[in-house]
Amino acid sequence: MADPNQVQPPRAEDELEAFTADPELAGMFIADATDHLGTLEATILKLEAAPTDLKLVNDIFRPFHTVKGNAGVLGITSIQEFAHKIETLLDLARSGKHPMGPAEIDLVLKTVDLLKLIIDELPARAAGRPVTDVSARRRELMGRVDALIAGATPPPSSRQEPAAVAAEPAPTAGDESGRGKINRAEDQSTVKVDTKKLDNLVDMVGELVIAQAILAEDPALRSSDERLNRRLAHVKRITSDLQRDTMAMRMVPIRQTFQKMSRLARDLSRKFEKPCTLKLTGEETELDRKVVEHLTDPLMHMMRNAIDHGIEAPEVRRAAGKSETAELKLRALHRAGFIVVEIADDGAGLDTEQILARGRKLGLVPEDAQLDPSDVHQLIFQPGFSTAATVTELSGRGVGMDVVRRNIEALRGRIDIQTVRGQGTTFSIQLPLTLAIVDGILLAVGSNRFVIPTFAVQESFRPLPEQVQTLQGQACMVQVRDRLFPLLHLGEVFNIPGARQRISEGTVIICHDSGKCVALAVDELIGKQEVVIKGLGEMFRDVRGIAGGAILGDGRIGLILDTGGLLSLVGKTASQVAA
Amino acid sequence: METLAQGAASAAGQTSGGKFLTFTLGNEEYGVPVLKVREIIKVMDITQVPQVPPHVLGVINLRGKVIPVIDLRRKFGFPATEYTERTCIIVVDVELSPVRVMMGIVVDTVSEVLNVSDAEMEETPDFGGRATTDYILGLAKVKGTVKILLELDRVLGSDGQLGRF
Repeated sequence: MADPNQVQPPRAEDELEAFTADPELAGMFIADATDHLGTLEATILKLEAAPTDLKLVNDIFRPFHTVKGNAGVLGITSIQEFAHKIETLLDLARSGKHPMGPAEIDLVLKTVDLLKLIIDELPARAAGRPVTDVSARRRELMGRVDALIAGATPPPSSRQEPAAVAAEPAPTAGDESGRGKINRAEDQSTVKVDTKKLDNLVDMVGELVIAQAILAEDPALRSSDERLNRRLAHVKRITSDLQRDTMAMRMVPIRQTFQKMSRLARDLSRKFEKPCTLKLTGEETELDRKVVEHLTDPLMHMMRNAIDHGIEAPEVRRAAGKSETAELKLRALHRAGFIVVEIADDGAGLDTEQILARGRKLGLVPEDAQLDPSDVHQLIFQPGFSTAATVTELSGRGVGMDVVRRNIEALRGRIDIQTVRGQGTTFSIQLPLTLAIVDGILLAVGSNRFVIPTFAVQESFRPLPEQVQTLQGQACMVQVRDRLFPLLHLGEVFNIPGARQRISEGTVIICHDSGKCVALAVDELIGKQEVVIKGLGEMFRDVRGIAGGAILGDGRIGLILDTGGLLSLVGKTASQVAA
Repeated sequence: METLAQGAASAAGQTSGGKFLTFTLGNEEYGVPVLKVREIIKVMDITQVPQVPPHVLGVINLRGKVIPVIDLRRKFGFPATEYTERTCIIVVDVELSPVRVMMGIVVDTVSEVLNVSDAEMEETPDFGGRATTDYILGLAKVKGTVKILLELDRVLGSDGQLGRF
């Protein structure tokens, strides 16, 4: 970041280079920042009523932080530095080192106003049109922050930072009066819609698709009437177009997230003095909005891990005959109906021996167990597992790889590791295209129907009687090749009338979650089906083993199984499970 | 009467008359405020959900929405009976602070929409702990019969938080 005392202010045109180059990103930045600043005002006013509420201070801090970060990504230094200044004050406030008095609140409000003005005028500035000269006001506000932090009363005008950072070469317009004159440069070409409404729409369209399928299969409509068939086909085409387009509405390119990563990589590389380059591929790959939102944190964590632990120090790299500058790759792509996001480094790779030793020490691995290297690598996803000898400021904070995996599994995705000692590590995250629909396997237990997500299923088979291991007369384990799996009889544990009692007459499904497996005994598999996921609502929040419901082809509801919840039911009887 | 306090606890004015949808459970006649009723449907396929009390029958597909269904007979301790062609599901709105949810309640028969005047309303007498009365809005004496008017949010509210049982 630029030294705040540097004499030469960056020229506005340079600063807006990235802004002008990517109108889409620029538009997103403005929409996002305006949004954040809008919510900020309300929060600040709340804080005014309750100045000691640190949660509110935190709520104010975060939007500033985001705006600052996004401005940084676009290289708009003037905004970034300005926001950073206020952030410093807020940071002191939220850690309780600086009380938020009327002067502070007033200052923050003024900052929001000014930021709004600057951001509103960005398109005009980028287009070279005249805009309000805000440099004096900004300098004054920044000076007041310094004064407040120093514990002094705010100075009447700017004097703390003479000729500080950035000045927009704005030819005209007086201060306050100029605000009203600026017309919104662009016509609105986008509409903001509440994501809830969008989710509802996607849901309803999902239902429409299913309803249409039911209708098309109705025996009463199965006629050889050419005209009717043509009309039905027409409805079908419109329905599927509609579905595709509504799904697309929720999709956003992963670009923004990737850009955050490239910024992070740059900062971390300097911090750890490990020169590296980050290569981005597939930034235009589109993902469900929700997925993107929840992907940022895990990716940031993995990026930190890669630079802090994955990449060796330059001298080590030189000694190993590698280029001193490490290469990081971040890419997104479509693969077989999934989105894959990969983060790769060319660092030291995972140390299998060390991980195994640590796993033994933590009691995660029995002393005498022989594990495949790939099984050993899975250990890093265990809670509380960390092999870094020293906890560094960034990587040692908060989440570990167990949280990364949990986050990814919450998105119904999975994460894999490929690593070669001395050559690097690649983490690949596989995610479903959308969260609204799950690809599932339909199964029957008694007259009930269940759907288990395909990604959770490892294999299914009809067990031979000798594969079923009993304990005190109760079936409890299933042996598959050399492995024993704990058995869960779905009909029994869910107390379903009419479920087949003998396991060897039904089907067993091996499913997994978080590296653990369970054998599920059901009556039979019916087939594969894509279903729209519906929440069962607050009332069934505490039901274990059920993730939601899906409306099936015949209009009935099938319950969607949640493998993680099922695992927690192993070894319990129906009466223990019942509410 | 002591139950005045309860009457006051429910929204003001609710103990006065109004329009109620009445239905039967066994030999008793009940009523719910018409404004709470969304629609009345025939009993349809109900998908059981595990790990819930017996009076929670499961979920149904109401034109693409998944909504829970409660058996009011079992909830009130009546013996279970076979469903007949007169058995109905009344779909109602229930306030489960902070959300409002739709639920279905299974009843023996739906009778009529009844106009209850203020004069016909009686506050719930104190039964001395023999019957739970906190979800009764009041009693209405109409044409010689007594209708038990239900405060739906209280009847079903506790089911909204099954986890706390």
